[in-house]
Amino acid sequence: MRGDIDDLRRRIDMLDEHLVRLLNARAACALEVGRLKRELGVPIYQPDREAEVLNNVQQWNTGPLDHAAIKRLFERVIDEARHLERIADEVELHKPPTTNE
Amino acid sequence: MREKATDAQVQNVIAKLMEMGFDVHRSTGALRTVLGAVGGTRQFDTALLEVLDGVQEVHRITEPYKLASRSFKSENTVITIGDLRIGGDEVIVMAGPCSAESEAQVEASAAAVKRAGAKVLRGGAFKPRSSPYSFQGLGEEGLRLLKAAADRHNLKLITEVMDISQLDLIERYADILQVGARNMQNFTLLRELGRSKTPVMLKRGISATIEEWLLSAEYILAGGNTNVMLCERGIRTFESYTRNTLDISAIPVVQQLSHLPVLVDPSHGTGKRDKVAPMARAAVAGGCDGLLIEVHCDPDHALSDGAQSMFPAQFDRLMAELRIIAPAIGRSICLEPVARRGWSAGRMPSGEC
Repeated sequence: MRGDIDDLRRRIDMLDEHLVRLLNARAACALEVGRLKRELGVPIYQPDREAEVLNNVQQWNTGPLDHAAIKRLFERVIDEARHLERIADEVELHKPPTTNE
Repeated sequence: MREKATDAQVQNVIAKLMEMGFDVHRSTGALRTVLGAVGGTRQFDTALLEVLDGVQEVHRITEPYKLASRSFKSENTVITIGDLRIGGDEVIVMAGPCSAESEAQVEASAAAVKRAGAKVLRGGAFKPRSSPYSFQGLGEEGLRLLKAAADRHNLKLITEVMDISQLDLIERYADILQVGARNMQNFTLLRELGRSKTPVMLKRGISATIEEWLLSAEYILAGGNTNVMLCERGIRTFESYTRNTLDISAIPVVQQLSHLPVLVDPSHGTGKRDKVAPMARAAVAGGCDGLLIEVHCDPDHALSDGAQSMFPAQFDRLMAELRIIAPAIGRSICLEPVARRGWSAGRMPSGEC
């Protein structure tokens, strides 16, 4: 029993590592989008695109998380992306992240 | 957002928040959407958001004031005036007559409050009275009398400044400038005090919320005068038995929100002499940094506020009680009680001075 939990926890740690890598790959895209939006003079906040992203992730969702849960999780992902796009000009790539915002 | 808020309404609020410089955290619940706004500016009017379509309510989490807030400066502000420290361990008592009336009256009051252990002489030379026909104060002559008496007894002097035009004059005499309750939102006066170097005691307005009070303090701090202390003096409530309702709970509330010293004026807070001592004891037990008490040698013939002025003997008894209460919460009061000419508690008959 104990061993099972330890195994599962190791698996969770491994998945978390993947998630962090994926979230950062996504964030790097958001940063680039932010820079391009600024160059083109397009507003950072694009509600239609956000709705599209939320719609996509719910369609791809196979559970066990329900659609509302996936939506809530991605709302947080989008919140952070919106923040990154806003400060895109101040962020230097390939620099270690700081602990505070 | 409201339960039936549309996506377009939510999006409009997000766009508005971003325009104001906030990062937005959107949480969609089963019934309603909650938008969290992070960062951005402190100076904004929540009403701007409340009027947007689909908005149910707006809650401000951060304080609208900055320099006065505990989050800006975590350690207590201690105001030093010569050897006097306001906001430290010692509870500072400021006492004296409501107004300076004559040389003899001022001298007798100063001697009495010094003997009892007060550190600051209070007294008005320019009086803001509810009626224009009431005694208005002695003006500069009053300041001169107060300052001379304070110097003779090694007391600091606090007196009220009512108007910008009096500031230069009063600053020459006073160690602490008092802003009265009626002037708490006299923003031109507050701005001028911000440019002054003299410490300021800001009384709470008669109907002011604690937030409004701290915003007024912010005016003085923002001008560069960091020596600001606050004074609770009672607020207007539905209760009519006492003149005002002394808000003792303001002490811990302000101490949590702000780093500024908090004093209490139980004399104006109750308006009745026999209620002053109990409220003063409560204020010290509640953790105030100081008291402002009206003491008059002949209150029944005082030209202003006689009914709330204590007799010297009552004041002395109160000080003796406070010396027992203060240590219970780790504070001291009047570290070196002055016993001149063999005088001691209880020996002086009321009205001797």
